[in-house]
Amino acid sequence: MKLRRILGVFYRYYYILLKGPQQLSDLFYWPFIDILLWGLTSVWIQSQNPGDAQKDLPLMLLTGLIFWQITWRGSIDVSLSLLQEFWHRNLVNLFSTPLKITEWAAGVILLCLCKLCITVCFGIAVVYFLYSLNILTIGWMFFPFAVSLLIFGWTIGFLAASAIIYWGHQVETIAFMVGFVFAPFSAVFYPVSVLPMWTQIISWCLPTTYVFEGMRSLLTSGTFPLTHLWISLGLNIVYLFLSFSLFQRTYQKSLTKGLARLE
Amino acid sequence: MDPALAVHQLKKVYGSSAKPFVAVDAISFSLKPGEILGLLGPNGCGKTTTIQMLLGTLSYTSGSIHYFGREFPLHRADILQSVSFASTYTSLPYSLTVEENLHSFGLLYGLSKKESTKRSDPLLERFGILSKKKQKVSALSAGQVTRLMLVKAFYIEPKVVLLDEPTASLDPDIASEVCAFLQEQRNKTGLSILFTSHKMNEVTALCDRTIFLKRGKIIADDLPLNLAKSVANFRIRLTISDGMKRTIALAEKQNILYRIEQRMIQLSLEEKAIPPFLNALILSQVAYTNIQIEEPSLEDYFLHIAEKTL
Repeated sequence: MKLRRILGVFYRYYYILLKGPQQLSDLFYWPFIDILLWGLTSVWIQSQNPGDAQKDLPLMLLTGLIFWQITWRGSIDVSLSLLQEFWHRNLVNLFSTPLKITEWAAGVILLCLCKLCITVCFGIAVVYFLYSLNILTIGWMFFPFAVSLLIFGWTIGFLAASAIIYWGHQVETIAFMVGFVFAPFSAVFYPVSVLPMWTQIISWCLPTTYVFEGMRSLLTSGTFPLTHLWISLGLNIVYLFLSFSLFQRTYQKSLTKGLARLE
Repeated sequence: MDPALAVHQLKKVYGSSAKPFVAVDAISFSLKPGEILGLLGPNGCGKTTTIQMLLGTLSYTSGSIHYFGREFPLHRADILQSVSFASTYTSLPYSLTVEENLHSFGLLYGLSKKESTKRSDPLLERFGILSKKKQKVSALSAGQVTRLMLVKAFYIEPKVVLLDEPTASLDPDIASEVCAFLQEQRNKTGLSILFTSHKMNEVTALCDRTIFLKRGKIIADDLPLNLAKSVANFRIRLTISDGMKRTIALAEKQNILYRIEQRMIQLSLEEKAIPPFLNALILSQVAYTNIQIEEPSLEDYFLHIAEKTL
């Protein structure tokens, strides 16, 4: 892998980011609206039931929300970057350069990390100023949580990108849909125990579930089962490898029909 | 010396084995260093498919592609460092400025921002779009985007350039300027160019050699003029002041095809038959005030091929 080629991909999407109001709204507008709606909802629920059980509800919901943004950001950045090339009719131009598919992915991931830092910092600040809640109360565990969620976001992103690179425009809505398929099973806002038994099996196969369960445990009891974190990271490594392998495979398969047909 | 590009038995088959469609059928050709090679043929003959395979954006079913003696898929990234491409039918990110596009593309070829600017500015000026450097691609006309694509293809200083109808959306004066630029670059740097176009006069003027594709197969590989001569006669136009009937009689006697428009007669005959025919006219005391002799063109060849295809 060559650093300059990775930077070439980084700059390409960075320049697009600066020009697109839609992309800037992904960074600031939608997270702000989510925080506003969910925050007000949880404050209201808490005020209706002012017992101990609901004490941590706003913080749990808002932490879940900010954390889910990490997964969503990772997922959408990968698939949307690929779609940008479709929309700009630039796929043949891009992949007729020395650029390798791994370098493209690295460039996208690099930009994703930068965007994520901005969104998360913005979200934490908004939550603090609107609700006087500090999401960083979970301490240093925030970072491995975030890494684990982000890796799963990339996994979802490469899954969506695999479908898009093979089937093209007709499946581009997958980029926006696929992340939410995993949300109900990831127990973002509620514990796994509220799910029906058969869906709990699916839940425990997802690395995100361990993170959200751990996050709730940390917020309510102050303890975090470290095994949850290791299982989450282990599953992530396996899934990311499988997802990226699938993307490479579908890219190669797509070459048999030609990239020009996708523009 | 290895050819810049060597294609051997290249084949592309689409569809299932039960219902295959052969888009490119075992073609072989080479491109010498410093050569400009025209790749021509009617629509759907396999030109663009061939170019896509040469760029690695379409995989091939069988055969081989070698650049500079190295096998393409095995050394893809290294090879593409010296191979570039421009086409009227692709675009660039339209929300980016010209400068941003060239910067991000340059990085893919290992060029810093400074190097990109140093190399691309003279080319932008040459193509008359230096003043558009800070503008978004969406603000450029189709012709300006085509010129920008050419800048993109040449500022990386390639050894091989693949051009898919690069002048299709250009005004004649700019198209002619582009052709002059291609000649000049070839003479200056010794690069090799594979060129597709539907403008036959351009191909004749620019290309050292021409390959004709038809239904995915190479049906001719020769100098443009030789191809033209292989299917078409020379055309002679005479404005007759005295002796039209005698001229017609001579043409009929020698089985020469002719067409009459008032005082003008147009005759179609082989190059070697021209002097004896003109002699015969003199001997028959035919007087003419004007004579035009038109060589067969590549367009005649193209029409001949297209007619057969239809």
